[in-house]
Amino acid sequence: MTKVLETDVLVIGGGAAGTNAALKAADRGAQVAIVVKGLLGKSGCSIFAAFTPYFTKTDEQARRNRWRFMIRYYNHYLADQEYCARMEDYMCEEFYPDLERLGVYWRRDAQGNLEMINARNRSLVAHKQGATGPILLEKRRREIQRRALPLYEECAVTSLLGDGERVAGATVLDYRTGEFFAIRAKNVVLATGHSDYLATRATGTREQSADGLAMALRAGAELANLEIQWWHVSDVLAPKSWMRYHLYPNPLMGTLETSRLYNSAGEMFYEQKTHSPGASAPYTEQLRRLCLQVQAGKARWDGGYTSGYDHIPGDIIRAYQHQAKVWGKLGLDVARDRIECGITMHMRHGGLNVDTRTMATTVPGLYAAGGLGCHYLGGFGPASYDGKVAGEAAAEDALRRALPRLPQQALEAEAARVFGFLQADAAGPRPMQAKLRVRQIMWDLGYIKNEKNMQAALAALQEVREQSVPRLRLQSASRVWNTGWLDALDTCSMLDACEATVRSGLNRKESRGPFYREDYPYVDNEHWLCRNIVARVDGEWRSRQQKIEVPHLPPEKNREPFFEADY
Amino acid sequence: MHLRVYRFDPSVDREPRYESYEVPYQPRMRIMDALDYVHEVLAVDIGYRWLCGSKKCGSCAVNVNGLPKLACWEPVQERMTIEPLSNLPVIRDLVTSRAPYEAALAKISPTLVRRTEYAGFPEPLKSTDVAPTAHLRECIQCLACQSACPVLRTGDTDFAGPALLVALSELAQDPRDGAERAALASDVANVFKCISCYACEPVCPAEIPIVREAIEPLKRMAYRVGSTPGARRAHAFLDTVKQRGYANAAAVAARSGDFGLGALGVALKMRRRGKLKFSDALGGRATPGLEGLRRTYETSEKEDK
Repeated sequence: MTKVLETDVLVIGGGAAGTNAALKAADRGAQVAIVVKGLLGKSGCSIFAAFTPYFTKTDEQARRNRWRFMIRYYNHYLADQEYCARMEDYMCEEFYPDLERLGVYWRRDAQGNLEMINARNRSLVAHKQGATGPILLEKRRREIQRRALPLYEECAVTSLLGDGERVAGATVLDYRTGEFFAIRAKNVVLATGHSDYLATRATGTREQSADGLAMALRAGAELANLEIQWWHVSDVLAPKSWMRYHLYPNPLMGTLETSRLYNSAGEMFYEQKTHSPGASAPYTEQLRRLCLQVQAGKARWDGGYTSGYDHIPGDIIRAYQHQAKVWGKLGLDVARDRIECGITMHMRHGGLNVDTRTMATTVPGLYAAGGLGCHYLGGFGPASYDGKVAGEAAAEDALRRALPRLPQQALEAEAARVFGFLQADAAGPRPMQAKLRVRQIMWDLGYIKNEKNMQAALAALQEVREQSVPRLRLQSASRVWNTGWLDALDTCSMLDACEATVRSGLNRKESRGPFYREDYPYVDNEHWLCRNIVARVDGEWRSRQQKIEVPHLPPEKNREPFFEADY
Repeated sequence: MHLRVYRFDPSVDREPRYESYEVPYQPRMRIMDALDYVHEVLAVDIGYRWLCGSKKCGSCAVNVNGLPKLACWEPVQERMTIEPLSNLPVIRDLVTSRAPYEAALAKISPTLVRRTEYAGFPEPLKSTDVAPTAHLRECIQCLACQSACPVLRTGDTDFAGPALLVALSELAQDPRDGAERAALASDVANVFKCISCYACEPVCPAEIPIVREAIEPLKRMAYRVGSTPGARRAHAFLDTVKQRGYANAAAVAARSGDFGLGALGVALKMRRRGKLKFSDALGGRATPGLEGLRRTYETSEKEDK
């Protein structure tokens, strides 16, 4: 018999959204349990948050800039605008006090004034190793430990269990010991992030194999706009492990200068202040410019172009000690040299279809918070807001409800699936090879998409699913930290998530933001300002559109050529 | 490149072994790239931990040729023996358990205990107020320092170790914090067991001056409170030197009230080797030029205030 624990609210994920969901659900008096695949506050993408946006309502011009940035450049009009208004209130009133109360120190000057990145949108920093995320999560982690909320780390959730009407809990594999158990819960908050390691080069980290998306899909939830997938252009090419080191194309603190991109002939082809002065976070514009260079044979997606700060006076750029140390570690001078770059698959706009008033998904008992949703791109602040909304809604509902019945048959079937992979054979094939193959398929599909290459990707994924997965064999059948075992489970999640993403891409007949279809090379706000939804019900793929309202900031044009749009 | 990797699965192996792998060198390669090659290309199921791959999470530290290194940050060497961090239990292969660190952290109440009620954002705070902890805030808890610590290597479970002291010191030097950090430092973390050997500093990937900026300030605080055996010993040491101009084990023991059986055993051994006279506990000759030394004491005591 599988061990079963019980709780009111089960939170899956330990980043900005998950930690806040747990704390806010506990504030409401609910019993909370948290399961994290890595280490709470150390895994996932939240620790990559470089700074936190500083929202105020007092300066009307700044507020207009902020909205234009959020809606047009950051979310390509796919954000839920009423959500944005509520999130703005949270950022103005709660986000900073909540974290400062725990001891976070946001940088100030000697007079005590907050130091800001004065780009078009102001931001604050609380640095640890050059990023703000790690210190914020360190404080949340310690607060969760102080309150002694049950925390299961280095535990992979393998499936959501339903009682036929609603989600009733989840199955968990503690991969340190090999123990498999279930957590029965009144409500489940999924907060597994918007950045997964699904392509050969990706900013998603090792443990991020889109488990959240895949489990939700298998539980019958609707997924929307998965194809709106960001790519970083200015990420370090070599060493490979450093593909997550990013040369920010945005202004840095204390200067309005930004990094530049150069093609293989040494010609500068992108600089934020020259080429997209209106766009803060100009990632989509960088991509389009790089695309033209690749098509002209002057760059590759994986190298053949460089980025650097060598046009900025040395004393200004060397003040970025962390950045300077990163360069120095490679034997380079941040003020003089350039680094060869490659693109990396970054965050995904889309995710679970949620009602942003509660973060409830289309499956009763299942909530989604943070970048895993489809309503906003993400970021440490918004994800924290989502965590609060989901945590409170899930807690309030749970306090009025009895524990659902845990379906014993489904539980034992999942145990059989998980332990079914635990077969050793000296000859293989190994799960890691299947995993690498999935990443290669998504990398090959890349940025320029069309009907043909998406169909080919779908067929290739299907081949891995049918030919490789059933034959996977491990090096050892040990249950203790068996990386091969985890790789096998990861591969299944990745296949589900990638298939849903490609299908979603096939459905969207336009180009938008970071999503480029050369067979539909225009932005079409008349037909595609929507949640482009896919779901799998009884093995059948379904799709539908849900219109996105734009009450505060509508797009200026109904239709424009993709390469002429600035967002 | 030649890798020799520590392999140990406690669920099946009776003892650890080493496996060797040949890994082709790639430009700018990090230790983690070499381990990834073994996992991905050679398809070996080595247990190793990494999460962010960019010096933020501190989860990938391992011993390389005997020294703790952050695998994502340090370059490869031509021949590497890669082993798990020392002074922590091994889960499998290169993965160590962080549980002892977490348990010790919980004991020093690692959250801010506010002196006064929180004033709202932004609370009054200047960069100069928090300057003493600037380097300490860079700690990513990779535990490389714990691995390098010779006091922890003796198996001493009372001593918290450098990583814990960095966390404690950050709070102790935070102007907003009102908890009894000095008592925690001396009674719970046993800061006086640190021998100031500096073994922790060169291995810290965050380049934190651990002894000077974390541990010494804690020792000073604990010294002022002065109630624990460690603090009493520190007082006795300084007082003896002040009085006579040199340290003397018998006098230090007598003044700090260290009369336990263990201390007696050590004292007898020292006496046998001619390093200690029991009569010194009471009197002893003052060294010539003591006046100059006392002036130094006075200056530093004044500065400390």
